[in-house]
Amino acid sequence: MKKNSLIAAVLGLLLSMSGVAHADRLDQIKSAGVLRVATFDSNPPFGFVDPKTNQIVGLDLDYAKAVAAKLGVKLEVQATNPANRIAFLTSNKVDLVFANFTITDERKKEVDFSTPYFASGTQFIAKKGVLTQPAQLNSLRIGADKGTTNEQQVRAQFPNATIVAYDDTPFAFAALRTGNVQAITQDGPKLVALLAKVPDRDKYEIPPFTISNDYEGVGVPKGEPRLLAAVNETLKGLEADGSAASIYDQWFGPKSAAPLPRLFKIGDPQKS
Amino acid sequence: MVQVNGWLAPKYLLWLWHGFGITLGLAATVALSATALGLVLAMMRRARWSWLRWLAASYVLVFRNSPLLVQLLFWYFGVATLLPETAMTWLNAAHTLSIGPVTLGWPSFEFVAGWFGLTCYSTAFIGEEFRAGLRGVPGGQYHAAAALGLGPFTAMRYVILPQALRIALPPLFGQYMNIVKNSSLTMAIGLAELSYASRQVDTETFKTFQAFGAATVLYIATIALIEVALAVFQHRGARMSHRS
Repeated sequence: MKKNSLIAAVLGLLLSMSGVAHADRLDQIKSAGVLRVATFDSNPPFGFVDPKTNQIVGLDLDYAKAVAAKLGVKLEVQATNPANRIAFLTSNKVDLVFANFTITDERKKEVDFSTPYFASGTQFIAKKGVLTQPAQLNSLRIGADKGTTNEQQVRAQFPNATIVAYDDTPFAFAALRTGNVQAITQDGPKLVALLAKVPDRDKYEIPPFTISNDYEGVGVPKGEPRLLAAVNETLKGLEADGSAASIYDQWFGPKSAAPLPRLFKIGDPQKS
Repeated sequence: MVQVNGWLAPKYLLWLWHGFGITLGLAATVALSATALGLVLAMMRRARWSWLRWLAASYVLVFRNSPLLVQLLFWYFGVATLLPETAMTWLNAAHTLSIGPVTLGWPSFEFVAGWFGLTCYSTAFIGEEFRAGLRGVPGGQYHAAAALGLGPFTAMRYVILPQALRIALPPLFGQYMNIVKNSSLTMAIGLAELSYASRQVDTETFKTFQAFGAATVLYIATIALIEVALAVFQHRGARMSHRS
């Protein structure tokens, strides 16, 4: 017993020493008075440059602002692209990443993720009335973007669907318009953004189902449990006081340019 | 570490093999139709009527002076918007034709559009190779044929064309090689040929080297076979002309 408590005491001392050795990131942020965040700058409506103000705006940015406000510090934004998100975190260039960051097991090996604050999934655009339930996909010609997970999910789940892969989403949409394919697939938010710009969008619809669920969270450096807890607490608080819903509605609500029903709330159980 | 070890799983080799089959099928049908149409085009350029010559010259101008990729996108996306919806539905549905024990499947619209686009493009080049071959036959040959009492058609068939073909053969085979290579551009219109398949395999397996390496080897092998075929043809042609 005595020996055990001695070991525990030594371990405890070591742990607290290592805590002192590299000062907690949350304390660093508070003492510097600045929260450094990486967001996208060309991925509307998550993070993009507003041509009027030349500032980065978007859903991700609104969440970042809310977290900075909760911590009582200034927000400093660093633009990133998808490939640099993990590198920015691991090299201490930023404190948090708010960049439509999908939580995957592979990425969890490199960084920690907050509780998800946004969810999206593989969805479809079809002419109205053509596609009402997933089982119909097996008998349709589906346009996809080459090399996307959307394409791979359709192929794995609907082996009888005919998949025609194009170089990018506008090409796939052109094929849908001309009738070469009966539906096209992409992430829901990208599909609403695409449909928003189409002149005859009344002819098309996004059937209200997803065939996969991706969850987007805040990227947090590994080994910063206090920072992670602070982010999670803030996100849950935003949901509780309704500001999460109003942030969502500003970008995806019924009156926005790209309406998408809010199927996921912060703290909801995650479906695979 | 970059993973280069490990060959592709059989499933992915099958994808590549299937893509290779589409590439060969497309290239062969395009070569056939473009050769036939190219010969017609070359004849049109020597026609007695100026409007026919003018028509052939403008065809070459249009199809040789615009990028193949744009032409393919035009046939696949552009023309499709002009066709009535019922026609598009028919073209995109599966059709089979049974002749006795043989069942022929109607190819996908991607294949039809790719074949049509490549044929239109290659006809312009092959027609010019034929024209060059015809112009390479000395004028004396026409007079000699006429002196022997041959009419214009028989003279063309038995005297001029065989000589023109021998001149045009190497560049003609060069055009066949181009057709094989150009067929890779049809992946932009969603035709699942070899380049498309190699890209699919790459994105699913992350075995980039193997995926594109295998495709490259298959292309090189096909081109090499065409070169061998040319050498065989030339050798046989030379022997036959020696004998006669």
